[in-house]
Amino acid sequence: MSELSDVKAEEQAADIVPEGPAKVPDKEAEPVKPPKVRRLNIIGRRNLFFALSLIIIVPGIISMATHGFRLGIDFAGGTELTVTFANHPTLPQVEAAVDSENANGSVIQTTGGGYILRYPPLTAAQTTNVQNDLQGKLGPMTVAQILEVGGTIAGETIEFSLLAVAIAATGLLILLSIWFHNVPGGWRAGFQFGGSAVAALLHDVFVLTGIFSILGKVFGLRIGEIDAFFVTAVLTVVGFSVHDTVVVFDRIRENLRVSQRLSFEQVVNLSIMQTAARSIITSFTVVLVLAAILIAGGPSLQGLALALMIGIVSGTYSSIFNAAPLLVVWRKLQPVR
Amino acid sequence: MHIVLSGPIRLIIAAVLVFSLFIDGAGYVYRIANHLPLTGDVAGLPPNFGGWQLYFHKGLDLAGGTHIDYQLTNFPAGQSRADVQQRTIAVINKRVNALGVNEPEIRGAGTDYNRITVDLAGVTAAQAQKTIGAVSKLVYTKWVPDAKVTGGPEPGYKPQLTGLTGDDINSASATIDTTGVSWVVNIGFTSRGATLFDNLTRDNVAACPGDVNTSATANCPQRHLTIWLDLTQQDIDNWEDPSYAGKVTAPYDPGCLATQAAGTVCGKFLTDPITIQEIPGGNATISGSFTQQSANDLATGINSGSLPVDLVALDVTQVSATLGAEAVKLSLAAGLLGLSIVVLFMILYYRIPGLLASLALLFYAGVVLALFKFIPVTLTLAGITGFILSVGMAVDANVLIFERFKEEIRAGRTIAAAVDAAVRRAWPAIWNSNGSTLWTCAILGFVGPSAVKGFALTLAIGVLVSLVSAIVVTHNLLAIVLISSRFRRASLLGVDRVRTV
Repeated sequence: MSELSDVKAEEQAADIVPEGPAKVPDKEAEPVKPPKVRRLNIIGRRNLFFALSLIIIVPGIISMATHGFRLGIDFAGGTELTVTFANHPTLPQVEAAVDSENANGSVIQTTGGGYILRYPPLTAAQTTNVQNDLQGKLGPMTVAQILEVGGTIAGETIEFSLLAVAIAATGLLILLSIWFHNVPGGWRAGFQFGGSAVAALLHDVFVLTGIFSILGKVFGLRIGEIDAFFVTAVLTVVGFSVHDTVVVFDRIRENLRVSQRLSFEQVVNLSIMQTAARSIITSFTVVLVLAAILIAGGPSLQGLALALMIGIVSGTYSSIFNAAPLLVVWRKLQPVR
Repeated sequence: MHIVLSGPIRLIIAAVLVFSLFIDGAGYVYRIANHLPLTGDVAGLPPNFGGWQLYFHKGLDLAGGTHIDYQLTNFPAGQSRADVQQRTIAVINKRVNALGVNEPEIRGAGTDYNRITVDLAGVTAAQAQKTIGAVSKLVYTKWVPDAKVTGGPEPGYKPQLTGLTGDDINSASATIDTTGVSWVVNIGFTSRGATLFDNLTRDNVAACPGDVNTSATANCPQRHLTIWLDLTQQDIDNWEDPSYAGKVTAPYDPGCLATQAAGTVCGKFLTDPITIQEIPGGNATISGSFTQQSANDLATGINSGSLPVDLVALDVTQVSATLGAEAVKLSLAAGLLGLSIVVLFMILYYRIPGLLASLALLFYAGVVLALFKFIPVTLTLAGITGFILSVGMAVDANVLIFERFKEEIRAGRTIAAAVDAAVRRAWPAIWNSNGSTLWTCAILGFVGPSAVKGFALTLAIGVLVSLVSAIVVTHNLLAIVLISSRFRRASLLGVDRVRTV
């Protein structure tokens, strides 16, 4: 195949991996340049984008600090029964029945016509009593689900979750510093890449947790409740955010090698433009999948799907508009070489 | 990179695909091979291929059932905690078996051996807790004459509580006796138990002395010490009713006791050995025609009278089978919907490469599902979500390659060169980005709460397979299809123009 040998000739010129700038070949031999990319100046308008992020994050942080979260059973502890009644009693009827038990129960109506009944932790015998009592008052009842979470497990779930985020962030910082220490500038530059990616990651975590705090506490929506699934979502977003950022950073690294004439800012801007299509398309397809779960996946997965959606949109935004501009700012404050 | 395009790799890919489809459709393969109808229940499913049971292992949130985390407290002093945990698990197993649960899972967990996790399919939380947490009490009885007794194991005699109970027993264990042939059960008593037992055995022998093996008169009912679980004075008071005595003397049935309705009589009998001689010293041996199994059963039965620890339920989850089935249906629908949307989008946006990527995506889905059956992965709701999400991740690698492909074409490369360069140059980004996702999965798997672990595992499997699918399968498909000049048109490739050689 003559075309293949053709590649080899080109690749030899274009694909050298230099440790230092001196070995970079004559750029005129590189046919990739100049790529036709629309020149949106993202780096120049970075303060605008930082401000946009803050507009979302700051209210979220305020809500988290003053209101906290609407806690699901996993975190709050207690006994939760998901039931349906054959006689279809109204919400006030169910509430009256639960109130009269004096067991501090509360009632939430689900979209499917069922009810979620929440109590402080009950013993097995008490749970049976409650069920018998409700059957007596409201007629035949089908129990779809019973969850009992004691204080110990609830505490552990929170502990494990915080620990997981902390370890993931630290680990990713180290991992990225190692991966990117071969850019011009060595370990300091590697740390800047890693640090910027982790900052973008924390941005996404705060956007997600902030929005859920507002949804759950300020608007009082049940979808804003946080449970073990929410923790899953946060940690997935951690992974996805870095995933997105790494693609941009990887392009920056590549362009730093081949585009010696451009300033760092220009290289970063070029790299953002080159990867933006991919970032948006990928996030778009993932959001499509999540929308499918949100619509078809049933109530137990909806909170998870919404959380992932927010996190992934935020992750894409932050990889384009925060992580790379942050890298530029960091370089200005702490020049390499 | 060229090795990826070699014949052997293509053969391996084809073999993996065929093998995966075989596993995915194992049920149908079995039906066809045995000329069974393709739908409905047939015997022998799930199929067993040389020891591999190939079916989807459903977690409790999909299958319906009860999950309980127990905290173990009041560990007996001076015993290995690991042993105590194992013994507790054995006891729970024994009790749970009485419920007839399919594949009960009872695992030790926790730091310092202080947790036990129980997963029981198709059992309500109330049933499970009653059975497992039942405080059954082991009692020793001797036989006293009562002319009115006509039924039971010893007509003319009824049992009498001796005051020796499970509290006086340290442990029971099944071992092979000194001759090395037959199985026996050794019982160790506490010091109070030892004294009581010594007195009881002396009375036994005094009641009808002689060698039990040679003298017929020596083998009288008073020479027996009988072990029961949960036998009460009330039971004994009913001994003159022959049917009652007969039912109580049936083998111990924890399932019956757990679900006991008013008026039913459950079996409470464990064993009725004859006392050969007075036994001082606090160690007794029950011999007889035991197999290893029956000796173990008896030891567990004696031990289960006294769970070595107290069990505190930390959390209990009960999911009804209907809700589980509903969840399976919904998540399958969501997965199919998501997959179709992605396929449609990829084909519309990337044309021929998009179509090829969609084929690669089907390869990916087939392999991942086969792995779920093969490993096997216990699928939970969160796990299925992880899988659906990994479809998105699988697409990403393709998108990275195709965007790069377009760039390379724009830069004036030929198609074959562009495919090669696109895969090669997209690789660092694909590897680094998926590597960070894998890293996160690893942390979730080790640190995360248990509900999150299933998610991490399926996502990690999905990411790994998606790497192979994009780099090897999509790449090969592109290389094969684009040999034909019919497909080398700009409109089919989603680019502005194509360089013709």
